[in-house]
Amino acid sequence: MKTVLKLAASAALCLGAFAHPAFAEDNIVKIGVVAAESGSFVSAGHTLPAGVGLAVKQINDAGGFKVGGKTYKLEMVKRDDRTDIATAIAATQELVRDVKVQAIFGSETHDFTLAMAKITQPAKIIHFAGNSTLAKILNPDSVKPGGEDHYLFQSEPQEFQRSGSTARGVLSLLEPLLGFKPKKSVMIVGNDATGQFLSSYYYKALKAEGQDVPDIIFYPPDTTDFSPFLTRAKSLNPDIIHFWYNGDSTLTALPQALELGAAKSYFLFGVDPGIWKEKQLSADVPVAMSCVPVCWGESSNPKAKAYFDAYFAAGAPHGVTSSVSLLYHDYVHFLVEAWQKADSFDPDKTVEALLNLHHQGVVSDDLTFNPTHQVTHATEVCAAAPGGAISCAMQQPPAEAPKS
Amino acid sequence: MDIFIQQILNGLSIASVITLIAIGVTLIFGLTGIINFAHGEFLMIGGIVTWLAVSAGLGFPIAVVLAILAVGLMGYILERGLFRFTLERPTNGFIVSLGLIVVLQHVVVLFWNPNQKSIPRPLTTVWEVGGVRIASVRVMVILITIAVVALSFRMITASRYGRALRASVEDRDTAALMGIPVRRYITGVFVLGSALAGLGGALLIALFPITPFTGGTMVMKGFAVALIGGLGNIYGAVAAGLILGIVEGFSAGYGFSQWTDAYSFVLMILVLIVRPHGLFGGTSGPRMAS
Repeated sequence: MKTVLKLAASAALCLGAFAHPAFAEDNIVKIGVVAAESGSFVSAGHTLPAGVGLAVKQINDAGGFKVGGKTYKLEMVKRDDRTDIATAIAATQELVRDVKVQAIFGSETHDFTLAMAKITQPAKIIHFAGNSTLAKILNPDSVKPGGEDHYLFQSEPQEFQRSGSTARGVLSLLEPLLGFKPKKSVMIVGNDATGQFLSSYYYKALKAEGQDVPDIIFYPPDTTDFSPFLTRAKSLNPDIIHFWYNGDSTLTALPQALELGAAKSYFLFGVDPGIWKEKQLSADVPVAMSCVPVCWGESSNPKAKAYFDAYFAAGAPHGVTSSVSLLYHDYVHFLVEAWQKADSFDPDKTVEALLNLHHQGVVSDDLTFNPTHQVTHATEVCAAAPGGAISCAMQQPPAEAPKS
Repeated sequence: MDIFIQQILNGLSIASVITLIAIGVTLIFGLTGIINFAHGEFLMIGGIVTWLAVSAGLGFPIAVVLAILAVGLMGYILERGLFRFTLERPTNGFIVSLGLIVVLQHVVVLFWNPNQKSIPRPLTTVWEVGGVRIASVRVMVILITIAVVALSFRMITASRYGRALRASVEDRDTAALMGIPVRRYITGVFVLGSALAGLGGALLIALFPITPFTGGTMVMKGFAVALIGGLGNIYGAVAAGLILGIVEGFSAGYGFSQWTDAYSFVLMILVLIVRPHGLFGGTSGPRMAS
C-alpha cells in the first residue's frame, strides 16, 4: 500500500509541474469520474457515473450555468478503474494531466481514494468522494489553505454518524416486528480495508445501543458460499445478524441465512428496498435494510421518488445500491453553485464557496460541509416485515461518537 | 454437535462446486496442456445462459442443457479459433486466456449489465434433522457432481477414447503414429471441459447469484484443487476438492474466518513443493505439449 501511495505521490510531483485545472476555452467544463464499472465493486461503482451523468444532464438541459459573465456547460469524462488501484491511479493521472478536468468524483473505495488524492490535491483539482474513510486524512491541518488535502471533500457523513444512525434505525424498526427488544447481535463483514473500517464503527454503535456483540465474523471478499460463516453465527444464537457491506455479498448471503435459520432477524447494509421488491425477495423473519443515504423503492424522503424515476429513465441499471449515486449527484449541483457563487473556477475561491454554501439537494435541504470538508445528514433505514410490507424512516446522526 | 454436523455438510457442499470446476480444469490443463484461466468465465457464461433461459420462462432442467451446449460450443469455437494455435507454446495460451477473461466479462457487461443475476431456486425444500438444516438444492448439486465424477472417471479410465487420450498424454508423437487423431482428441477434451464449466455455471446460479466477475475466484480454487489432486487425475480432483471444502468449511466455522481462502492456497503451495505431481499423481501439465 505504501508503495502504491509513493508511486501516486511521485506521479503527482511530475504532474504538478504542468497540470492546471482546465479552463473552458469552448465553454465546456470537464469533470472526471473514476469508478468501478467492472470488477468486484461494480454494484456501488456503476452508480457514480450514473448519478454524476444525471446531474450533468439536468444542468445542461437547464441551459448551463454562468461564471464570469459566460455560460458554460458540463461534460462528464468517466474512467473505469476495474476495481483495481493501479488502474484508478492511471485514470486519475490521465484525467488531470491529459483531459484537464476541473473536478473529480470518486472512487467509492477507501485506499483508491487516498491514492487518487495524492494526484488531485497537488494539482489543485476539486475532488469529491462519498467515502467515510476519508476521516482518516481530513483534519484541520490537512484541509487548511496550503494543506495537502485542501481540495478534497467527503460527500458522505462521518462514519460514527452513519453507523450511529443506522444502528439506532435498525434496532428501532426491528423491535416491533420481532415483538421483543433484540439484545444479541452478530456482524458478518467483508474483510477488506473498507469493511474493517466500517465495522469498527458499527460495532461501537451497536454497543452504544446496548447490544451484546459476541463476534464479528469476517469473510474473504468475493465469497459466494456463506454457509460456514452463517453456521458459526447461528451457534451464537443471535437476535440479529448484521450483514455490513457490500450489497452484492449481502444479497448472496441472505437466502443462505434464511435456509439455515441463522437468526431471528437480519440487517442488510447498502441494499435498497427497490431491489428487494424487484427481485421479489421475501423472508419469514423481519429484515432491515439501510440505504446510502436515502432509499430507492420505498422512501420517507419526498424527493426520492422523482430522483430515482429520473435516474433510471436516464439509463442507469437497477443496482443493489442505486442510492449511492446520491453521494455524487447532489455534489455536482453543489459544485456548480459554488462556481457561480465564486464567479470563478479558481480552486481556492471554489473551496471557500463550498465551505460557505447551504445547498438544497435531494438528500437534504441543507447540505453543508463542516470545517474539515465533511457533510452531515440523516441515513434512511427500512424494514421488511414477514409477508412483505416495507416501512422506512430517516434516522438523524448522533451528535458525538461513542466514548468506548 | 448439530453445528459440527452442519459444518461438515457445508464443507461437502463447498467441495461439490469446487470439484465440478476442478474436473474441467484438470481435464483441460492436465490432458491437453492448455492453461485456460478463462475457465471461470466459461462457468460464468454457463450461469448467464441459465439465467437467460429461466428468465425466458424455460424450466431449470432445459436451462441446464442449454448452458452445457452453449458453453461446449463456445469451447469448440475458442479451441479451434484460438487455443489450437498456442498448443506448442502453452505460455502463449495462458496469456490468450487472460485476455479472454476481460473480453468475456465485458461482453456480458455490454449486453446484460454488470449487476447480479439470480434465478428462483429450482428446489426450495429445506429438511431439518435434529437441528441440522439440509437444503434440497445443495443435495441436488452434490448428487449431480457425484454423477459427473463417475461418468468422467469411467470415460477416462475405461473407454477406448480415454485410453487413446491417455496414450497421447504419455507420448503425443507415438500416439499419432499409432493412428490416434491427437489434435481432434485435444479439441474433444477442451469441449468436454467447457461443457462441464457450463454445467458448473448452471448449478452455481441455482445456489448463489452471479455477476460477470464471479469466475475469477472460482477458477483459482479450481486450479488449486486440480494441482493438489494431480493434473489429469479425476480421483485426485475429487479427493482434493473434499479436502479443500472441509478445510474451508471448518476454518470459516472455527478458525480465522477471514483467512478461509488463504488456507486453500497455502495447502496448494505446500503440496506443489513436497509433491510436484500432486497428492495422487498426475501429468506434468503443459510440459507434455512442448
